[in-house]
Amino acid sequence: MELMVIMIFKIILVIFLAFIIGIFFLGLSRKIIARIQWRYGPPITQPIIDIIKLFNQGSMSHGVLFNFGIILSLVGSIVVILFLPMGKMCPLSSSGGLLVILYLMLLLPLGIALSSGEAANPNASIGISRKFILALGYEVPLLLIFLAVMTHYNTISIVKIVKMQSNTGWSLTSLPLLLSGIAYLLILPAILGVRPFEIFKAPQEISSGPMVEYGGKFLAFATIQHAFNEFIGISIFVNLFLGGASNPGYFFLKMLVVFFIYQFVNAVFPRFRIEQALKYLWKWPTLLAFVGLIIVAITN
Amino acid sequence: MNIEVLLVIAFGGALITYLLGKISKRARNVSAVAISLALVVIIAFLYNASSNITFYTGFLKNLSLVLRINTLSWFFAITISVVGALSIIFSLSYIKGKERTDFYYLMMMLVNASMIGIVLAGDFVTFYIFWEIMSWSAFLLISYNRGTAMAAGMKYIIMSVIGSMAMLIGILSLYANYGTLNISEISTFMASASSGYILFILITFGIGFGVKSAIVPLHAWLPDAHSQAPSPFSAVLSGVLIKMGIYGFILILYVIVGLKNFLGLSSNGFSFHYILCILGVITIVIPSFIAILQNDAKRLLAWSSIGQIGYIILAIAFGTSLGFAGGTFHILNHAIFKALLFLTVGAVEYRTGTRDLNSLGGLIKKMPITFLLALIGAFGLIGVPLTNGFVSKWLIYKTLILEGHPFLAFFALLGTWAAILYTYKLIHNIFLGELQEKHNNIEKTPFSMQLPMIVLALAIILFGILPGIPLKIINSIGVSFGLESLNINIWGIASDTGALNTINIFMAVLIIGLIVWLIFKAGRKSVKVTQDNNYAAGTYIPKGKYNYSVNFYNPLQRMISPFLKDFIDDFYMWISRGIKKMSISIRRIYTGDIGNYVMYIVLFLALLIFIQIKWNLW
Amino acid sequence: MDRNKLEKWLKSPTKMGHKYSLHVVYFCTGCGIIEIPPSITARWDAERFGIIPVASPRQANLFLITGYVALKTLKAIIRTYEQMPEPKFTVAFGSCPINGGMYWDSYNTIKHLDKYIPIDGWIAGCMPRPEAIFIGVTHLWTLIDKEMADGYKKYRKDYKYYRENQEQIFGKLEWPPLFQKEVKK
Repeated sequence: MELMVIMIFKIILVIFLAFIIGIFFLGLSRKIIARIQWRYGPPITQPIIDIIKLFNQGSMSHGVLFNFGIILSLVGSIVVILFLPMGKMCPLSSSGGLLVILYLMLLLPLGIALSSGEAANPNASIGISRKFILALGYEVPLLLIFLAVMTHYNTISIVKIVKMQSNTGWSLTSLPLLLSGIAYLLILPAILGVRPFEIFKAPQEISSGPMVEYGGKFLAFATIQHAFNEFIGISIFVNLFLGGASNPGYFFLKMLVVFFIYQFVNAVFPRFRIEQALKYLWKWPTLLAFVGLIIVAITN
Repeated sequence: MNIEVLLVIAFGGALITYLLGKISKRARNVSAVAISLALVVIIAFLYNASSNITFYTGFLKNLSLVLRINTLSWFFAITISVVGALSIIFSLSYIKGKERTDFYYLMMMLVNASMIGIVLAGDFVTFYIFWEIMSWSAFLLISYNRGTAMAAGMKYIIMSVIGSMAMLIGILSLYANYGTLNISEISTFMASASSGYILFILITFGIGFGVKSAIVPLHAWLPDAHSQAPSPFSAVLSGVLIKMGIYGFILILYVIVGLKNFLGLSSNGFSFHYILCILGVITIVIPSFIAILQNDAKRLLAWSSIGQIGYIILAIAFGTSLGFAGGTFHILNHAIFKALLFLTVGAVEYRTGTRDLNSLGGLIKKMPITFLLALIGAFGLIGVPLTNGFVSKWLIYKTLILEGHPFLAFFALLGTWAAILYTYKLIHNIFLGELQEKHNNIEKTPFSMQLPMIVLALAIILFGILPGIPLKIINSIGVSFGLESLNINIWGIASDTGALNTINIFMAVLIIGLIVWLIFKAGRKSVKVTQDNNYAAGTYIPKGKYNYSVNFYNPLQRMISPFLKDFIDDFYMWISRGIKKMSISIRRIYTGDIGNYVMYIVLFLALLIFIQIKWNLW
Repeated sequence: MDRNKLEKWLKSPTKMGHKYSLHVVYFCTGCGIIEIPPSITARWDAERFGIIPVASPRQANLFLITGYVALKTLKAIIRTYEQMPEPKFTVAFGSCPINGGMYWDSYNTIKHLDKYIPIDGWIAGCMPRPEAIFIGVTHLWTLIDKEMADGYKKYRKDYKYYRENQEQIFGKLEWPPLFQKEVKK
């Protein structure tokens, strides 16, 4: 009985911490972009103000699937967080490991795709088709990276991978996985949907793509989902390549370092077209990840 | 209950249905549904039976024809009969009003009965007889619609006959070597055969079964056949008929040749099972990407079937216990969700008259239940957690990764992402997007069409949350082949290298979903708007002029379509055109002029006399 | 600016939220839009007040009518205004929406925008400088605090009046009336 209570407490704590860190990163990103552009920018708590306003605003709905899709996407993000170890806490650690994470991560674009398809807007259809094509683009190197890590440690459980790194040092410093780590950093903007791969949203081209019909609480959910998404993308990198951490404080510091790396790229780059993005993603990161996988397969 | 009685009911029922159709349509419908359901019930009662019956001795001098049933046969038989029964219930509304409906029902039940006969066969003669009955009754059903379906049917039957001839060569050589065709006796003989002979048997039977299960060099018949056949039969074709090829593979690889011989069959680095794995991987990747480019709903599903068969072949040829469990479970899963998807596309075609993805759209407002069922089928095809597709794919990936073959695992995972793309294209272009003007007045699908789809959708979810139910049966099949047993609970598999616990995932999704939904409801109520109240930069979208889902993945299509033409199909067509040209030029001998024919006779006699004089042969 | 006062947040988070996170529809109605890019770029940074342009009216709650209003643009303005979710605020920018401004005797422009959609505040000038824009935004905050920025409620209450005026100019409109009956608020 106590075990259940502790587990529920851990789940709530993990979700709450992930939400706070995600919202903090959203606000910090706007501040960094503003400072790089020589202006002051909004306060760091601006996303919270946005979410409070959005929950108090009315919205338009196109039907049941419109509501269901965004809920599905948000639930998918939250459930993935339960599988990722943060510090020493990982509530659902014994339920399938890295493969389940890979599969649950595909619920995120699928939920938004279903709800925006119901909206019957041409911008939404174009946006979601570009999102799926981009997902196919970054999945090729991402799968190679995951397979390299799983083959190197010969397990599919992410908790075990973190534990083994505390014995053998960070994955990034071991030769076979260095190339995979660099490849992951190269595709991280594509996974998160920040510039130069902001093809998903593209406010100027396709009017926010799939979110063109989202008002009020739908947009609030989309913002929260974006926050969780950033958390997931960076947390996977920290767990697989930077050795996890022994408590959430160190975890947050490592996440901050990775965050700064791709935010500086986000602030200065324009947006790729989808063909250019696909050509890039299937060329250099794939090559690096492929060579990394060959090296891991040989040294095993 | 004897298994011969089962086969008599199956075949006799087909004939009775046809004859009843001449008297009254309603009696024929009732009898078709009743006999198919009776077959399901009888097979369900045969669970855990295991028997061997010789029902005819003295066939062609000293061959005895044997029927037998064991867990493997039972597993396949229940899948075949359930999918067949549900397709017949679906056809009650679908076929009504078309021509030659008695013939249709006769052929459907004949295909059903012959497939059950195949899995119950205990020796190769029975196997071959039922195999041929299945092949030509499928051909008659594929070309049911006449017109362009004839060409598709011809392609199918020619390739199927070539495969059967290869299989016949294998059977004859087995008879010549061992004097018997009984499967259990042959498996004891083959344990001590030479590896060259094993390779020969594997190749001949492999061609035969490969044509039927559409592995890549031999898949050219499948896209045309599946798209031209009537939809309930497409469900049976794609769901269970191709699995007969897989059943044959399991028979050859595990029962006859035996696991140790098969895995050990290698010569200077090339092992046969690895080549089969590579063929499976090619079958996963290339057809899945070709499916993204299709514009016809059933053709897309047909290419997707080829892709999923690649998973099954890869897992079964891989040879570990997790792989066998994953592959066999995927047979059941693929039958369920592919049949469901073909039935939903059939329902849409029944109501709107088209299956062109570039002219449909927005049907969720008119057919909400069909959309929900298609969505569940699509989730199963992708492998979303909590559906059965996820469990079988998880097993396949886990064994590929843990045995140290990351490249095979990479291509298999890539197939899943291609599956996501084409499945979303199917759902979006048919159900989401904008409702076309001409489809404003269609009604919902009739209940007799919805019922089989509901049953299949429930099975997807049930087997996703509690996969232990079928996995126990599959485990016992694997143990009987000499693979090691897995530790199976009702909700998943426990092992020390990463367990799978679907109940946890289910509870987490349920509770978090509830909380998020409550937060959603606590916000301000949203205003319902219609489809034309859409953001279009301040203007009003005129009705009837736009279709937003044409060329859905256009940038990707432009990039990859030069690489993804179906080279093999073009190669076969080139061969057939060459044979036709050669035949036309040979025909010129028949000039129709009597003088020519007399000259032929005189020249041939002169040639014979010349040979006799020179070399004195006779 | 009272964004940092925590007790005000706890007392009425709705009003504070609406004040400090104004999303502007990026719809360039007329010539006045030329003064918007300077006010959102580095020199007069509008984002530090929480004002950010968004692409779609569904996501916005502030509508800036910048510059003169031609007849064609008026249709798009009405449609965009009706697609925004409530509560929404409208600010007229420049002298032309007030009384016709420079085009006071043209056949093609609207002289009194207030007859067609409700306006919460006006900023006079031909074009107002960015400093004037910010003073206008501060006044809008005061209005929101005192709950006097109720243009959307007026639209709902007097919809018959607005719809009559719109139909008088355009003839038959292609979209159905937004509110079927008058709602007492």
